[in-house]
Amino acid sequence: MAAVTYLEAIREGIWEEMERDPAVFCIGEDIGVYGGAFKVTEGFIHHFGSERVIDTPIAEAAIVSAAFGSSLTGMRPVAEFQFMDFISCAHNQIINMVAKANYRWNAPAPLVLRGPSGGGVSGGPFHSQNPETYYAHTPGLKVICPATARDAKGLIKAAIRDNNPCLFFEHKFLYRRIKEELPSEDYTVEIGKARTHREGRDLSVITYAAMVYVAQEAADILAKDGIELEIIDLRTIAPLDKEAIANTVKKTNRVIILHEDTKTGGIAGEVAALINELAFDDLDAPITRIASLDTPVPFSPPLEKFFLPKVEDVVREARRLRAY
Amino acid sequence: MKSKSVLRHNSITNGSRRDGNAAGEALRTNPHGIPDYRLEVPDVRTVEEWVDGQFRYNIEGDLSAEPPPLRESKYLNKQASIEIYRYMLLNRKMEQALENLFKQQKVVGGVYLGLGQEGCSCASAYALQEGDWIGPMIRNQGALLVRGFKPRDVMMQYMAKADGPTGGRDAGSHFGDKHKHHIAAPISMLGDLIPVLAGVALGARLQGKNIACLTWVGDGGQSTGPTYEGFNFAAVQKLGVILIVENNLWAYSTPVDRQVACKDLADRAIGYGVPGFIVDGTDPNQVYDVTREAAQRAYSGQGATLVEAKMMRMRGHAMHDAAAYVPKPYFEYWKKRDPITRMEKYLLKKGWLTDKQNRDLLDSVEKEIEQDREIADASPFPEAHLAGERVFCDDSTQIPFLYGKPKVKRVETKKVGAASDAAHFR
Repeated sequence: MAAVTYLEAIREGIWEEMERDPAVFCIGEDIGVYGGAFKVTEGFIHHFGSERVIDTPIAEAAIVSAAFGSSLTGMRPVAEFQFMDFISCAHNQIINMVAKANYRWNAPAPLVLRGPSGGGVSGGPFHSQNPETYYAHTPGLKVICPATARDAKGLIKAAIRDNNPCLFFEHKFLYRRIKEELPSEDYTVEIGKARTHREGRDLSVITYAAMVYVAQEAADILAKDGIELEIIDLRTIAPLDKEAIANTVKKTNRVIILHEDTKTGGIAGEVAALINELAFDDLDAPITRIASLDTPVPFSPPLEKFFLPKVEDVVREARRLRAY
Repeated sequence: MKSKSVLRHNSITNGSRRDGNAAGEALRTNPHGIPDYRLEVPDVRTVEEWVDGQFRYNIEGDLSAEPPPLRESKYLNKQASIEIYRYMLLNRKMEQALENLFKQQKVVGGVYLGLGQEGCSCASAYALQEGDWIGPMIRNQGALLVRGFKPRDVMMQYMAKADGPTGGRDAGSHFGDKHKHHIAAPISMLGDLIPVLAGVALGARLQGKNIACLTWVGDGGQSTGPTYEGFNFAAVQKLGVILIVENNLWAYSTPVDRQVACKDLADRAIGYGVPGFIVDGTDPNQVYDVTREAAQRAYSGQGATLVEAKMMRMRGHAMHDAAAYVPKPYFEYWKKRDPITRMEKYLLKKGWLTDKQNRDLLDSVEKEIEQDREIADASPFPEAHLAGERVFCDDSTQIPFLYGKPKVKRVETKKVGAASDAAHFR
């Protein structure tokens, strides 16, 4: 079994769901003959036809709304944002029309809104953002941010099968940089369950998406000093896996929450509040947040590097907490 | 000191031609070739005035004309015409009951009325078939009745009752029904149902059926981005969306001249690349015929239609709004064009309704409203703890295809290939 990239894992997941279920179709900008800006749906139009791989005008509000409308008839649309930055153009449709539909009028919205998010590629302020937390704040939405190829495939399949609107934030830095062998059989990964990326006894790093690998590099460095980092990959930030968060704090008693989203109002604040509620007595050191600067995502490589959380930030904070 | 300036464009006219009557006369077209079904083209403008240091709107033009009779419908027979008339009455009497309930403080929040617009809501919804969908706005409560909801449902919504369609989760006409009535629930943000209805039509088409999806937007609501995005998408995809722009001249307190620079909103059909029509929104026959023909185009895969229905919002935006900003002559002019009065005269003159039958019909409507008012009043408030339920749909819920399993092209199952290297960013 050959190893596949994170991007190919997502391709496989959508492709297999389209073959399995005639309710599933893709809709978005340049996803047809071009195959999408990152080639997630490359070749799909030849296999599934233009009826099920629909190129749209540049109109994110229409894409989300049309996906929602089709879901009212029993379809399971997978809508692509060319970049997740453009999700803001459909913000109203997502938070008002889609997220509230089941609550207001008993109309489930089984749709997936997916696309590339995240920085590290000098994409600049409008092609690098991590807008996931805006949506984690909205009741009625599930927000998924996978870090591995295996999870990306299992979670996109779970999202397509879910009866609720799922926002699927792919990380473009990971698309072609990570590779692994995937199970040959059909599998899904449960939405709302965190994963222990690395076991450790001294300190927990709770994180998700590309920052899992920043934590991993830090863990390798710290291991040389005998400091064992436990890395918890949240995988979904709505719903949060409260049990996994509490358990790791109870185990290590020290915790860093790390994310690429900017710091103020990021999901780390919510995780910190949960730890206070669920495991305050188990803490031996203050909860520490590491996140991007509270600025737009800058374009030039040195600026962006300064903006993003770094391995050395995690190493430094881990040593400080260890000594606390 | 009085100074006066004319807003850039006419409110309700597109030219100088006037006709008094003549049902069945040849269609006129507007200067851009849009067919105009109206039997009169009033020459009226909104003007701005400063009077004693106060800004106000006034009206200019000839308002003396008596309303023409209704245009003869190409399709409606006696029974259908009477049914539409009954729905219009039910719509109005229900809203009068809502107004009373509001005054009795039994309504939670505001009440939005469609006074003067009943002919447009009811006749257009009546032109659809069972499998079709509607996406109503706040002044289309009559359409909810045509599609099978009861006056009690609307009343219970306004009264925030447990037995209302949303169980008190949302207000007023903000409700819908997927399975039986095929109604998409509106949200307060305007224009947003247009792309949703396009999606409903898309879903139906993927399931092998071309349906008509009727939605309405005001002269105010059509200013929003989703209106353009949604209707353009429907046009490009040849989806059977029927968009009726209800030009009722006022968006809350803002005259249409401050929403758009074009004279006829139907002109926008040219830009969308779809058929466009102008109708008199107070003439149910015109509204029915144009909607029915639009639905036929939808069924045969010819796609979307844009209709501008010209009329007047005869009350304020909601109950709290006395509409003092509207020049009185507007109300006087349009009161003579009350759709229910016009329809009543039409039916009586045609001999499709006798005075006695008309009285009986009105009695039966009033009786129905009274019964429903009592039922709505008796319904309890929802149990408070229900506020925390139903945010998500349970995974065990089966979500069926409304129009049947999509016919997927038989393709050989194969593995997805590797992606090429031409990525936007690396």
